[in-house]
Amino acid sequence: MPAPIDYSKLRIVPDFDTAEWWAATKEHKYLVRRCPDCGHKWFPPIFPACARCGSLKTGWFETAGKGVIYSYVVVVQPIVGAFVGTAPYVVAIIELDDCREADGAVTRVAGVMLNDEPEIAIGLPCEVVYEETADPRIVMPRWRVCGAAPNAWRFAE
Amino acid sequence: MGSLTDKYCIVGVGETPHMRPSNRTTLSMACEAVSKAVADAGLRLSDIDGMTSYQIGDSTTSPHVATALGMRLNYAVDILGGGSSGEALVAHAIGLIEAGYCKTMVIFRAMNGRSGRRMGGQTPGGPIPVAVAEGDAQFNMGWGWTTPAQRFGMSAMRYLRDTGCTTRAFAEIAVAHRYHASLNPKAIHRSPITIEDHQRSRWIVKPFRLLDCCQETDVSVAIVVTSRERAFDLRHPPVFIMGGYARTLTDSPQWNYSREEIHYVAGNYGWKRAFGMAGISHKDVDFISCYDAFTFTTLIQLEANGFCGKGEAGEFVKGGRLQIDHELPSNLSGGHLSEGYTHGVQMVIENVRQLRHRADDACPGWAEGRHTYDRKAGCRQLRKADICCGMGWGWENMASCLILRGIAA
Repeated sequence: MPAPIDYSKLRIVPDFDTAEWWAATKEHKYLVRRCPDCGHKWFPPIFPACARCGSLKTGWFETAGKGVIYSYVVVVQPIVGAFVGTAPYVVAIIELDDCREADGAVTRVAGVMLNDEPEIAIGLPCEVVYEETADPRIVMPRWRVCGAAPNAWRFAE
Repeated sequence: MGSLTDKYCIVGVGETPHMRPSNRTTLSMACEAVSKAVADAGLRLSDIDGMTSYQIGDSTTSPHVATALGMRLNYAVDILGGGSSGEALVAHAIGLIEAGYCKTMVIFRAMNGRSGRRMGGQTPGGPIPVAVAEGDAQFNMGWGWTTPAQRFGMSAMRYLRDTGCTTRAFAEIAVAHRYHASLNPKAIHRSPITIEDHQRSRWIVKPFRLLDCCQETDVSVAIVVTSRERAFDLRHPPVFIMGGYARTLTDSPQWNYSREEIHYVAGNYGWKRAFGMAGISHKDVDFISCYDAFTFTTLIQLEANGFCGKGEAGEFVKGGRLQIDHELPSNLSGGHLSEGYTHGVQMVIENVRQLRHRADDACPGWAEGRHTYDRKAGCRQLRKADICCGMGWGWENMASCLILRGIAA
């Protein structure tokens, strides 16, 4: 498991479009945007319109916080000071299990894995874990591998 | 472009040295690059009636440069943008001149890209001491995922998985562009490297190593665009703009990781228009330039612009195909990887010099177009440099292209 993130060096600033998302993570709920008109889902919540139907109404969908690793990077040289002691750490894009739509659309999110690099592979199932930060207003969702997959792909160089 | 094909030309190019640090303001560097480009065209500053530039909140503006140099302009605009913007501003210039708003325009980019604002937000001294994550940065900086290397790495990793390509293909690009830099007295890194050197270099963010990443630099670059009629009266043979596309856009995997395939980049939506306008096919292209912020960005642009099929770029670049005297020489100045980083315009400048047959290399007669073609003696001029395809990149979601030809084509 990588060393802890130094949240004292990171200040998250929720805005009018994202405040409800951060409020939900405090209650250990993982939300994605959902269009009340056509049902399309998306992430991150900074986008205040539905890219499928153009609706300006925005709602939320509470996901189960489970998915599969779609891609990842291993940050060896950190740039954000809060992560200097954490490196090397893995940032992953995760395709959520419960957001697949009839037309084939999927919703992917991203976050920092709790696993070290050797445990990471594209295709592995993972789940969200909520982490307290130095800021009492902010709870940070992180992700951890929670199973195996027959066709997982690992960057082995 | 249709009937506009070959109607507009690039007639002047100029740049400051690639420096780190410059110990200069972006205004000072921009004045030098603009003056040099105008002089290169054989024009006076008073002949220029339009100026544009692009920046990311890190540079001076056209009104500052025009005031400093005593230029009275009919049009001046500075846009927000990085890679792919220089080629797009050439398209602006064509439109403005065609519409009669201007006659001759200069386009510049000036940046203290190493000593001032660095891409990805790191300070000149190192990591960001206290990071403020607001706007879209809530969903990347908060995850320690900010720099272009970290962001493009996500597309690259999925690409390796989907195609079976390995990072030895990345190495081919690093080696080719470094070899070209070894023939360029202006380049920051001139020592040739091998595939093994690339494979041994330290990790920055997997799947990228140090030798996958470009050189942050302090620099200014400028180019002059005018109409064909005026171009024939100027100092150099004109370089004709055959076709292109300008900041073609798709949804960005920077924000929208849910798009069908994160490595299906914007060039895929542009190249058919560009080649159609130019009336050529890929086999007519003598050499290319690619926005090589990273080795991978070159690789992905080759297939995005139809030089090879989807997923085939790793095979395509094998065996030194992108090196001078091989099938499709790429980034003949050394590019961002080895010459320095200018957000794209240096590639346009090198392409213009190659098409004029006046690459500024070690040949004593280069300025008159006399080249030895002896690579060991430092000549980097192509023997046949008639048509070039230059590809610009602004993250995965944005791309530009300029197909240029020299007087011989």
